[in-house]
Amino acid sequence: MTVTPTSPADAGAGVVQPALGSRTRRLLYGSRTLAWLLLLPGLVMVVLFFLAPVVLTAAFSFTNMSTATGVSGGVYQVAPSSISRLKTALPDLADELSQPRYVIDQAGLDALGQTSVPKPLLDELAAKHMGEVFDNRRDAERMIKTLGGRPSTAVVKQISEAFNRSIVNARFSSKTALFEAIDGLGIKATPEQKETIADNTWTGWVWTTGNFERMFASKDALRTMLNTVFYVAMVLIIFNTAYAMFLAIATHYMPDRTSGFFRSLWLLPRITPPVIYVLMWKWVAWDNGFLSMLLAPFGVAPRNWLLDTGTNAWVFVILINGVVGASMGMLVFASALKAIPQSQFWASEVDGASRWQQIVHILLPQLRWPILFITCYQTLSLLASYDYILLATNGGPGGSTEVWSLAAYHTALFNYAGNLDYGYGAAMALVLVIIGITLALLYLRVFNYRALVSRPIIEH
Amino acid sequence: MAASSAPSANFRTWPIVLLLTLLSLPLVVMYIYLFVDTVTDSSTGSLIPDTFTLSHWDFLWHTKVGKPSVWVVLVNTLLFATSTTTVVLLISSMVGYALSRLNVPGRSVLLAGVMVMHAFPSVTLLIAIFVVLQMVGLYNTLIGVILVKAALDLPLGIWLMKGFYDTVPWEIEMAGITDGASRFTVWRRLVLPQVFPALAALGLFAFLSGWSEFILPRVLAPGNNVQVFSVYLASLIADDNNFDLSMFKAVGVFYAIPVIVLFVLFQRHLMNIYGGGTKG
Amino acid sequence: MRILLDHFSKSFGAVKVIEDMNLEIRDGEMLALLGPSGCGKSTTLFSICGIHRVSGGRILFGDNDVTNVPSQLRNVGVVFQSYALYPHMTVRQNIAFPLQVKGLAAADIKQQVSAIAALVHIEELLERRPAQLSGGQQQRVALARALIRKPDVLLLDEPLANLDAKLRLEMRSEIRRLQLETGITAILVTHDQVEAMSMCDRIAIMNAGEIIQIATPSEMYHDPRTEFVAGFLGNPPIAFLKGTAQDGAVLLDKSDIRIPLPGRGRPAGAGRVTLGIRPEDFGPQGDVQIPGTIVFVETQGRENLYDVRLADGGMLRSIQPVRGDLKVGDAVTWAAAGDKIMVFGEDGSRL
Repeated sequence: MTVTPTSPADAGAGVVQPALGSRTRRLLYGSRTLAWLLLLPGLVMVVLFFLAPVVLTAAFSFTNMSTATGVSGGVYQVAPSSISRLKTALPDLADELSQPRYVIDQAGLDALGQTSVPKPLLDELAAKHMGEVFDNRRDAERMIKTLGGRPSTAVVKQISEAFNRSIVNARFSSKTALFEAIDGLGIKATPEQKETIADNTWTGWVWTTGNFERMFASKDALRTMLNTVFYVAMVLIIFNTAYAMFLAIATHYMPDRTSGFFRSLWLLPRITPPVIYVLMWKWVAWDNGFLSMLLAPFGVAPRNWLLDTGTNAWVFVILINGVVGASMGMLVFASALKAIPQSQFWASEVDGASRWQQIVHILLPQLRWPILFITCYQTLSLLASYDYILLATNGGPGGSTEVWSLAAYHTALFNYAGNLDYGYGAAMALVLVIIGITLALLYLRVFNYRALVSRPIIEH
Repeated sequence: MAASSAPSANFRTWPIVLLLTLLSLPLVVMYIYLFVDTVTDSSTGSLIPDTFTLSHWDFLWHTKVGKPSVWVVLVNTLLFATSTTTVVLLISSMVGYALSRLNVPGRSVLLAGVMVMHAFPSVTLLIAIFVVLQMVGLYNTLIGVILVKAALDLPLGIWLMKGFYDTVPWEIEMAGITDGASRFTVWRRLVLPQVFPALAALGLFAFLSGWSEFILPRVLAPGNNVQVFSVYLASLIADDNNFDLSMFKAVGVFYAIPVIVLFVLFQRHLMNIYGGGTKG
Repeated sequence: MRILLDHFSKSFGAVKVIEDMNLEIRDGEMLALLGPSGCGKSTTLFSICGIHRVSGGRILFGDNDVTNVPSQLRNVGVVFQSYALYPHMTVRQNIAFPLQVKGLAAADIKQQVSAIAALVHIEELLERRPAQLSGGQQQRVALARALIRKPDVLLLDEPLANLDAKLRLEMRSEIRRLQLETGITAILVTHDQVEAMSMCDRIAIMNAGEIIQIATPSEMYHDPRTEFVAGFLGNPPIAFLKGTAQDGAVLLDKSDIRIPLPGRGRPAGAGRVTLGIRPEDFGPQGDVQIPGTIVFVETQGRENLYDVRLADGGMLRSIQPVRGDLKVGDAVTWAAAGDKIMVFGEDGSRL
């Protein structure tokens, strides 16, 4: 088949015409099926690691989940700790629960049947005393001694132990099992009292609003909140905007090669992995580090400048985060400055503006939107990210540089006590999640989301 | 960068260069000492190195007590960073295209969702993610932390790719479909090659971000078998038994080699990436 | 192949772009869709090739109803305004693409590509990339790619808009040559009346989503159906005068100039009318005398164009062979050819 100038009747003659408009064809060539295929993996990831965690964070924050309760279910266990809790609500019952009971039952008889205890003795016990309950060992053993054949003390002990039906430390997988055991021991309890016992012996997690009550009442939480505000404000104002602007403007007035060098240099901390970057600062601050050695000849005693006082710790925390954070603002502002037509600079210079006047009247007004952008963006990331503080001071000394996100991490994911309080940590995280979503939505409005969405032109 | 911003002849440049040099000096000193300290020793109380030594690099041959071998850590880190990058590139290029060009019901809602997630500080979800991973049994596995890291980088990736797809002329696609190609073929053979620079940039960003990541592996995969470099180095530093700053720095430099190489090769591109509204 | 738009409508959301359009493109004919930007001509073209889905009506290729057939299966060839060449492919790969996605054998493709390259004269460019080609060469590649799968219809969307003046002239005749040689049915979308008139068998002139008139270029020029058509065709454009019809003549506004009307266009009664006089029909010779003052002289080389202001403030244009005796400010009394004067009613339709 060659293409030669022929009549249109020839066109397509040799080609098998596909079945026009058949359904499968349309599915194959249309965009909808493809769209879902392309979206599916992303949607799964988003649901698993964004939506589910947001929902779960909210859910967890209304529980008392911790290492102790576990995250799955639990059991009912009359542990010493639960009894001591019960003592405040039901002192008498708690006392009764903690006492051992001796119940002559089939289970005990069966167990003894496997041992060397004489059979007749057991038969007599079954016949005379089946179902009897003794409040203490002495009463039970007195009864056993009355049995025929005069069992030895060792045998009496063996028998009484077989009927020891103490509920302490027993585990029950359901409420019904727990209640049956209580009834079986002859402990009289009203249904309400039983519920109280169940609540206090449950080892799993329960729903509660206690996390938020604790948070609002806590002095630590207030201090952490103030720390956070201070930290975000200082880093944002001093470095992410002001110093970033200085870097952008300063490099703007340099030849390309020089400005490229300085911008690369100040981008370097952003690219350096945080662990190494913080290590360099530790080298500066530690008691055998750079600062101590540098100041030694002037009679300053070497010390760990990073952690010796709260003030010093803050200086370093702000410096460490600020030097990293300045790079983004620097690059964003620099590209905004680059977008200003060169003629505006020439014009202002011809008009007699000094460099300072040029900065104030030409540069800064055109940076308004980038500044707003950086402020929104960095506020969010400063609120949430804590890796540099974690690595540098870990919130110290004595919690003076503990910020909200780091506190949530310490509460729920890592602390020296080892009891990770997921519920309270989630409640702390939820505060950030809500702030985050609110600010992100606000950010959408400010940066005119509509302009970014246009309809697809190909309509199938 | 175009050569448009020649400094004005009306203003002197050197005072600014001098000022910025002074301000940059501490940073330069920190980086210089990071490298110099790994191969030198200096006498107590002195900042001037006086002997050359390779003893700080001993960790390459001798595994520290209670710590995984540095080579295992290297492999883990490589696996973590490259897998994350692959997942991010694959899914971002797919979802970005669907959102940029295809008729999806609820497209604008999805787009708004991506943008909110992009701005949203995802690390706040870590506690819930930790519990999720424990529930599904992916806690302390590389796969788990790779999926999480990739998922958290996705909104940025999708947004970036969507923006790049937006710049591909519609007429290319129109030509493709009138030439008889299905939308899938159009995407794979006609559109994807046009956004290759974006894929390269996103890949570079995702790799660096994965290579540097600390919090996620620290929380989700702290075990010795799955340890990555950041966690390894942090645990070395936190360990009081073998305190040796120069050794830490040597491990750090070893860890930073790919970062340094990529930084030197792609400085300009990195500046565009990090200046373009990525997380900072 | 004959293309038929049957009660075709297209809207985007609430915006109705085209309502109830009927259009037939005859087998082997080249038809121009001519109109100002935003008139719906590109929308029509994109609906024919399936990029847009129609909101109402049918589209037929021959006897096949393709209304709901995806673009991929419609067998159309499209040349886009920007040519839309795939920048990462060589010219050969570009042209081969439609055959490749069809699954043809490599040898077959190679042969067909060579043949089509010969047809559009780009044999020596096959291994280059689009960025290494001039505008005219890119245009030829786009044509080759559109033609290679022997489409039922060739659609050209402003194909000459991106070329400089000299190349435009060359490609105008080149596209027409290819269309005639292949005998393919073709639709040319353009806003340039010269292109439409010089390249096409018939012109469909569109305005605001409607086809105003379909006719051959010369019919349309000499016998426009509406004021809009008359105004759109012709360069330099036609001049219009406002007036009132009375007793078989038109009295121009605010003046005593009476222009007797030809028998054909005589309005039934009195009323507001617009007269249209083309520049070539107004000059020293003619039967309807109209006095005025020259306000502008434009030298076009072979001819001069004069703008003449009438007493009522209306303006007429005259195009005449170059003469050196007139300058701005001179009073002249030229004449129009009475039988060439067009009369339009208040709604713009020809009387």
